[in-house]
Amino acid sequence: MNLLNFKDSQELFKKYNIIIKDTDIFNDKESVLKFAKKIGFPVILKVFSDKIVHKTEKGAVITNINDVNELADVYDSLDKKFKDKEGMMVQKQFDGREVVVGMAHDNTFGPIIMFGLGGIFVEILKDVSFRVCPLNKKDALEMIKEIKSFEVLTNFRGKKKVNLNKLAELLLNLSKLALKEKEVVSIDFNPVFLNEKEINIADFRIIIKKNA
Amino acid sequence: MLNYIFNPKTIAFIGASEEPKTVGSGIALNLLQSKKKIFFVNIKSKKIFKRKTYKSILDIKEKVDLAIIAVPCAVVNKVATECALKKVKGVIVISAGFSENNNKERENELKEILKDIPLVGPNCLGILNTKNNLNASFAPFIPKKGNIAFLSQSGAIIDSVIDIARTENYGFSKIVSFGNEAGLDLSDYLDYLVKDKETKVIAIYIEGIKDGRKFLEVASKVSKIKPIIVLKSGKTELGKSAALTHTGSLAGDSKIYSSVFKQAGVIEVDSIEELLLTAKTFSFNEPCLNGVGIVTNGGGFGVLAVDYFDALKIKVPKLNEGKNPFDVLGDALADKYEIVMEAMLRQKDIHCLLVIQGLQIMTEPEKTAKIIVKLQKKYGKPIIASFVGGESFKKAVSIVEKNKIVNITEIKKAVKVIRYLTYEK
Repeated sequence: MNLLNFKDSQELFKKYNIIIKDTDIFNDKESVLKFAKKIGFPVILKVFSDKIVHKTEKGAVITNINDVNELADVYDSLDKKFKDKEGMMVQKQFDGREVVVGMAHDNTFGPIIMFGLGGIFVEILKDVSFRVCPLNKKDALEMIKEIKSFEVLTNFRGKKKVNLNKLAELLLNLSKLALKEKEVVSIDFNPVFLNEKEINIADFRIIIKKNA
Repeated sequence: MLNYIFNPKTIAFIGASEEPKTVGSGIALNLLQSKKKIFFVNIKSKKIFKRKTYKSILDIKEKVDLAIIAVPCAVVNKVATECALKKVKGVIVISAGFSENNNKERENELKEILKDIPLVGPNCLGILNTKNNLNASFAPFIPKKGNIAFLSQSGAIIDSVIDIARTENYGFSKIVSFGNEAGLDLSDYLDYLVKDKETKVIAIYIEGIKDGRKFLEVASKVSKIKPIIVLKSGKTELGKSAALTHTGSLAGDSKIYSSVFKQAGVIEVDSIEELLLTAKTFSFNEPCLNGVGIVTNGGGFGVLAVDYFDALKIKVPKLNEGKNPFDVLGDALADKYEIVMEAMLRQKDIHCLLVIQGLQIMTEPEKTAKIIVKLQKKYGKPIIASFVGGESFKKAVSIVEKNKIVNITEIKKAVKVIRYLTYEK
């Protein structure tokens, strides 16, 4: 089983209008700093490697970096700690409510799409919903509303309702990808940040067939 | 193409026997009760139940529509080859010992031999059609006629269900034990039943679905025309490959089947009792929109009902004239039920009624039952009766049931059935 690299993942997503915004990967400090200045602080820095499946647990992700000096230090320490890598991923520190979107293959039903809220909702409560591809808009909205904690995405504790259309769009685009790209075994977008205006994919993982 | 399975003019039974308490004699006796032309085939016996017996299906001179095979698994494929040569128009293989027993090869061979002939099974109980009194199975007897079709992966559940139904107020159109689905699969039966005039509702028991994508496509179409109710046991198996992502591991121990049922418009229930009760309710009623009116003569029943409805997201709309649930109070006579029920049935956002009656000294169960029947006919909206009691309500229950109104003593079950009946949640 192979983890698809950053560049190929981004290319693949682009074909299906899935855009990973304010995110790029580099192999030198200068470019990292330059890109961070361009997108604006705070940023996060991640080691991208097909050897590291669980980045956070391995300490390969540093969040809330507030300026150039801090970023330079973080870069040096991560660079020293992780030798075998594709590169360093810089990304704007997104905010909003965290959700998880994914796809996998079911032996009986073929490609399926999953949706849930991030963090403990998915990890412990397993409050997620599924649909079999192809999805239509109605299926997408239904599966979003089906989770028990759906209210978290509405006007909740003073926050505004998130943009459900953008979320449904991501589910539909992923369904198209799942049906067309036969080499893709499974995808996680985790976390995805949602607010009342936009949707931002903060991390992704694509597993492809071994010989693809 | 399934017509010859359910409506054959001539049937050959290969593996017929006289020996009591065997599949061979069970099926033979069942077949003799139908008015079809039956041929028994058995390589050893000369006569079975005083009828001439053939050594091979090929020895029968007349045309054979349906062949039923119940011989040891090692000779099934040889017998099936003869059936193909005989140009039968449908085959039921009762015998076990195929893919369920890790003998995939034998099953593939059978499939190949009968590739142009509709095949039920192998490893099944057979089929029943109440319309023409055909019991082509080893189920002990044929159930009452009715409009429920029952498809089951388990033969044992079929036997129990037709026995349960004996004292119940519903009946069946067709019953199929589909076994390993080497030929016809679940979706093929759905395709047939959607056009079957005798069938109004389709109830299914499954452990797994063979062709998931075909099922999603077919069930989505069929469920728009006839309600499909399913009881599914066991969990889904996901490829190990997917375990590296969250999506993969969560799907593994989760509810893909339930999602598929939702997507396909199929109603999923969680027990045999619910499967039958829901099928019965659909057999008597049309599905309705979300909104229920509750009449009761005891406050407690009303509160319970509202709690249950609330948990299942069923609306209990305010009444234009009075409260919902409407408590007619313990001393209410039948006429008070009538006034309240009629007000509710006239209201546009009330699509279904739950009429609860507990036993109080002035209660008039039979009169109330007659009013329920009368108003259901007048307004056409589904009414579920809940006479909460026992002996004292026997007559009332029989009045409503005779008129195709479901009585459910346990309020919680009544509420759940109303939720299944509600198509827009």
